[in-house]
Amino acid sequence: MIPLQSATPLPSAIAELLGLDPSNPAVLFVLAFVAAGAIVSVMLGMTAVLGIWGKRKITAAFTDRIAVNRHGPFGLLIIPADAVRLLSKELIVPEGVDRPAWDLAPLVVASSALLGFAVIPFGNGVQIADPEIGLAYVLATASIASLGLLMAGYASNNKYSFLGGLRAVAQNLAYEIPLVLTAASVVIFAGSLQLSTIVASQSETLVSLGGVAIPSWYAFVNPFAFVLFMAANLAEVGRNPFDIPEAPTEIVAGYQTEYSSVYFVLIYLGEFIHIFLGGAIVATIFLGGGAGPVLPGIVWFFIKMTAVYLFTQWARSAVPRLRIDQLIEIGWKGMLVLSFANLVLTAVIVGVIQ
Amino acid sequence: MSLEDPDTGAIEPAEETAVGVTDEGLDYDALADLLGDRLLDREEHVNAEGFVVRPDEVRSVLFDLRDEAGFDHLSCVTAQEYDDRYESLYHLKKYGAPTQELSVVVPTAKDEPVSESANPVYRTADWHEREAYDLVGVEYEDHPDLRRILLPETWQGHPLGQDFDGEEPQIVTLREHANPLQEDHRGDDADTMFVNIGPHHPATHGVLHLKTVLDGEQVADVDPDIGYLHRCEEQMCQQSTYRHQIMPYPDRWDYISAGILNEWAYARAAEDLAGIDVPEYAQIIRTMSAELCRIAAHLLAMGTFALDVYGDFTAIFMYAVQDRERVQKILEDLTGQRLMFNYLRLGGVAWDIPEPREEFFEKTRDLLDDMPERLAEYHDLVTSNEIFQLRCVDTGVLPPEEAKSFGATGPVARGSGIDYDLRRDDPYGHYDQLDWDVITEEGCDNYARVLVRLREVEQSARIIEQCVDLLEDWPEDEREIQANVPRTLRPDPDTEVYRAVEAAKGELGIYMRSDGTDQPARFKIRSPCFSNLQTLPVMSEGEYIPDMIASLGSLDIVLGEVDR
Repeated sequence: MIPLQSATPLPSAIAELLGLDPSNPAVLFVLAFVAAGAIVSVMLGMTAVLGIWGKRKITAAFTDRIAVNRHGPFGLLIIPADAVRLLSKELIVPEGVDRPAWDLAPLVVASSALLGFAVIPFGNGVQIADPEIGLAYVLATASIASLGLLMAGYASNNKYSFLGGLRAVAQNLAYEIPLVLTAASVVIFAGSLQLSTIVASQSETLVSLGGVAIPSWYAFVNPFAFVLFMAANLAEVGRNPFDIPEAPTEIVAGYQTEYSSVYFVLIYLGEFIHIFLGGAIVATIFLGGGAGPVLPGIVWFFIKMTAVYLFTQWARSAVPRLRIDQLIEIGWKGMLVLSFANLVLTAVIVGVIQ
Repeated sequence: MSLEDPDTGAIEPAEETAVGVTDEGLDYDALADLLGDRLLDREEHVNAEGFVVRPDEVRSVLFDLRDEAGFDHLSCVTAQEYDDRYESLYHLKKYGAPTQELSVVVPTAKDEPVSESANPVYRTADWHEREAYDLVGVEYEDHPDLRRILLPETWQGHPLGQDFDGEEPQIVTLREHANPLQEDHRGDDADTMFVNIGPHHPATHGVLHLKTVLDGEQVADVDPDIGYLHRCEEQMCQQSTYRHQIMPYPDRWDYISAGILNEWAYARAAEDLAGIDVPEYAQIIRTMSAELCRIAAHLLAMGTFALDVYGDFTAIFMYAVQDRERVQKILEDLTGQRLMFNYLRLGGVAWDIPEPREEFFEKTRDLLDDMPERLAEYHDLVTSNEIFQLRCVDTGVLPPEEAKSFGATGPVARGSGIDYDLRRDDPYGHYDQLDWDVITEEGCDNYARVLVRLREVEQSARIIEQCVDLLEDWPEDEREIQANVPRTLRPDPDTEVYRAVEAAKGELGIYMRSDGTDQPARFKIRSPCFSNLQTLPVMSEGEYIPDMIASLGSLDIVLGEVDR
């Protein structure tokens, strides 16, 4: 059986594969870049396929439409067509924007999400680094995006952007805490922040129902935490019912109103990579990482990630948007209390069992 | 929902005590006695009598008519210029009994067209008088805000006045235009923020500009700025002949599938003006096609409201559009058009049900058979959704007294518990012989308005079903679709008529005055959206931005009809 998690991180594995000395820091340094480049390319590829083509097809399926079908097979050629279209548009810099904050914001939004993938164990040993504080690191990098959104909203010199930026920060603050607390309840189970350890601790069988072994994924061990985390994750990535920072019918496009061309692409990209990162975190800490029958672990991992993405699109097509005050109320008065209760209960249960 | 006691203000006197109400209807002599010396003259209009009063006594007359005689609905204000005078016409009605009508005629001098504003009596007079000032040039004393409303502030002259010079260049430089950004910086140390919502904004359903002052996320003040889609519809109708040329225009007022409902408004007014009787068979076809239009319009209203509350990728919009598409297909079979039907004619309809008739009826019945299931799905998807209720219940509250004062009609009024539907209260077509109900909801909020529309679709389906039954069994040799109407209509000079029908958005009224030619001397459109939009500040001040957007969506305005 293929081990779910190799002890060697990806750069060292590549070094061994190429016959180089993995203990040489210079070699590792270069190969870390190679590994990171590979992962980033995969993520950008996923965004291109799922963000440009998949999104249309999925939303169309939910809303009973056909969507792109004229550009190549299944409309797949829309991906290069859209990429060329978006990148060849004029980059309009509005008067009075606060540079360089306005220019940096899209970079911050896009790159903060990519940083998180550095510690994600994709299965089959594909993991760039496996630090002991993996979970704390990935949550911390993901939340840097809030800064980017605030920068975008504030620097755009547009009132809709400003409202959107403020909404984004208020929302991310309110839902970041439940997110972290719920993730912490998993840490109590696993006894470690290291993502590979968390994945490994989910590999045992929880119960066996009629010959089918239900693994001890934390989604099954603690479904309550899973639901909480999925809800908070929706708010983190800003999808219905929490798409308030963008809310096109209210504040046009929120913080991204004034962005065009490449900057728009970067923000758009950042949003999608955030959704994928959210999916990756969910897959890692609740769905057993790359665990699954028959198919290799990395395939399972991407299936789980895509499933979470599908869920956000589903919510987007079917659920109304909350109002900002209701959102804040649910965040601070509902989710926060529930996640604390979950944390304390988990701690008690784990304490009693051990 | 809104449980506060209704404000027992002055507007609603008990029906029995109202002056001039008798068993037969309205006793104009008693009303004349009420006004006493203030009444200068009495005119006969086709729909009601016109009481001529002095321009400086408008307010006291209207107060008395409202409080003593129970005229609580200022349906419309029409201004026009004669050779020797200006005239403002206040078309008064009662919410309880819209057939009891009265026109208050206020002549003003040519050299100084100033008359008292009706604004303190009926708040709806605010916009109506601004429009009269803008287009005709009558000035209203003590009007709180007598600015132009449809035309830009820089416009020279009054286009419906007699001395308007159409040759005069109207394009002014950008410098002379009001700069919307100027107000941006008023009160720099204030805590509020001024935002222009529209004219290009995803949620204004057309080109509407809302000058909004925000206090954080809350709306401190909102001032709708309309006129971006003003297309001189009244003037075009004044330059067209009654018989053929006007009928295509109504389709373009409320262009959201409500075409036949609009056409009926013109048909009804013109038929009353010229004394044309419509064959019963044609009336049934009209009733059926009008209700099909209503279903299409209400479905789209619900779908776009879902866009406002759910976001741009909601499934509900597409579902609603698909169901609307089926209605459109039936209307296309019937009229040959999908949007600008141009199906009604004075005295009847353009042509009979398309052959083979069975196929048409079968298609219609299929639609009606599926309707309960579809509506159940909408209730499942929309009205029973907890988040939707959280968003819509008790937001955008429009108390019934306010609704009446602003002349709100249609689903907006019925969502505020006002039992007012011209199809029943001022019957026309075949409605009074069919079995259906007027829907009202007591909620007064966004939710109630959506619910009213969805439930009205049910009732429209009932009406269509009965019409189809009637049409199917109609003897073949009695299918008279058109009355005998002269090729050229020349109603008697100085005949005046104001008639309204229940369009998709509310009371759509037409005022026409003939001058003996084959074209109307004055053609005035009372647009329900125009009056309904006036209630937006009442509903949204103090609420959050999303609620204001939702309220705007629940009003279901079409800018083509607001701006005309």
